[in-house]
Amino acid sequence: MSALRRWRAVARESLAIALAQPVASLVTIVMVAGMCATVLLTTGRTVGAEQAVLGSIDSAGTRSIVVRAEPDSGLDTGVLDRIANIGGIQWAGAFSDATDARNSAFAGGTRVPVRLAWGDSLGALGVSAHPALPDTSAYASSQALQQLGMPGDVGGLVATTGADYAVVGKIAVPDYLQFLEPLVVVPQARTAESKPIGVLVVIADRPDLVTPIAAAVLSVLAVDDPTKVKVSTSESLATLRGLVKGQLGSFGRNLVIVIFGLTALLVAAILYGLVMLRRKDFGRRRALGASQGLIVALLLSQVAGLSAIGATAGSIAAAIGLASGGDPLPGLDFFVAVSVLAVAVGMIAAVLPALVAAKRDPLRELRVP
Amino acid sequence: MLKPGGGQVVVEGESAAQLNDRRRAQLRAERFGFVFQDAALDATRTVLDNIVETALYRGQPREPAVRRANELMAQFGVELRSSAKPGQVSGGQAQRIALCRALLNDPRIVLADEPTGNLDPSSAGVVVDALRAQARSGAAVIVVTHEPTLVATCDRKIEL
Repeated sequence: MSALRRWRAVARESLAIALAQPVASLVTIVMVAGMCATVLLTTGRTVGAEQAVLGSIDSAGTRSIVVRAEPDSGLDTGVLDRIANIGGIQWAGAFSDATDARNSAFAGGTRVPVRLAWGDSLGALGVSAHPALPDTSAYASSQALQQLGMPGDVGGLVATTGADYAVVGKIAVPDYLQFLEPLVVVPQARTAESKPIGVLVVIADRPDLVTPIAAAVLSVLAVDDPTKVKVSTSESLATLRGLVKGQLGSFGRNLVIVIFGLTALLVAAILYGLVMLRRKDFGRRRALGASQGLIVALLLSQVAGLSAIGATAGSIAAAIGLASGGDPLPGLDFFVAVSVLAVAVGMIAAVLPALVAAKRDPLRELRVP
Repeated sequence: MLKPGGGQVVVEGESAAQLNDRRRAQLRAERFGFVFQDAALDATRTVLDNIVETALYRGQPREPAVRRANELMAQFGVELRSSAKPGQVSGGQAQRIALCRALLNDPRIVLADEPTGNLDPSSAGVVVDALRAQARSGAAVIVVTHEPTLVATCDRKIEL
């Protein structure tokens, strides 16, 4: 018999044993379901709240590094090439100093700041990589369009320098560029000649990378006068984020350990009692040719199956409970992790009773009346 | 079932003392047939499940084991519903079911502990005939019994 067929035979026998002991099977399922539901309704709720809090902190830009440079500082677009070699950066963009511009359709309109922009990541803002009018196509935020009086998201701009730009679309301004609002950007093609920039924005992959990436970015700025450059990072927010995550995470972990530990003890106690009640059954199986390994496999696969049913039922019940109470759900990965952990805890709890069952002396057990 | 505490137990050329648990279990499942005094059936499982139980221990597929079980049940007159449980059969039928289980693998060695102890003469006759037939096929049938009629059918007798 192939290994697969043998495992199927063991699974079939385990299922038959579980069905033959409906009360014990039901108790095991209820225990594991209760364990999962308790963890999800307590720690799961905490995790959901934690994710919501962290999401709020993240939306405030915990991963941003902003470099502001005075016009004669010497900071130019060449820095983009240098920071391209730094790992852990999700987004980077360079902006020129702002030039005021107004709607060219009428005189005396509100002026908004226009910035030339460079960087391979500009596409993430909704900017076309190949605009119809290279170097003069502008993209404006909702706020800028409103101030310019361009309800159709298109129109002409005339800058105080005399330069003309064509607004060809609207961009969604991410949290980390909110400080540039009202924002109008004019994407520029990179040329061999470096152009001066006034603002460099770098977004790290993770909050904990902000500090090392800020240090790396500073080291490659290559400015003429460092005193004319100001760097601001979200390091304090990132630290706060770490504290929030650490404290809530620690609370959740301790609770999970306690709940899983208690349930493991209860499952082990139930199974041990079951083994004692069925010792004649195990003795008969051993006498008829079941190896110790097979007895252990039968019990463990039985518990694995029952635990999986219990974990699924408990997770579904907890999800319904959380959703009906309006609480944030902790995410599918958390549900899956708790379920897998519940099955693992059930199986670990079953190991000792399974070994006891496998070690029963068949000669003695068969004498049990 | 257990490692010998002294002396030597040799089964088909293999010393039982030298075998690990897995190999000893394999020997029991493949070479031995057991008939216990009280039948020792699993009351929670069907009669058919009880008979084919040892197929799992031998790693034998269930389908041929079920076919063989049906043949044995017909031979020993225990043709019951497949869903029947041991609690629904008589003592004589239970012992014949146990005999079906013991002979499922056509064992080379049969160990029977008071196989006719609780049976009426008719059922006892069926069991004795089956054990004799197995012995005639070349198997070693070892019986522990207090029944003079069964003793009389044995080729060798050892009194304790």
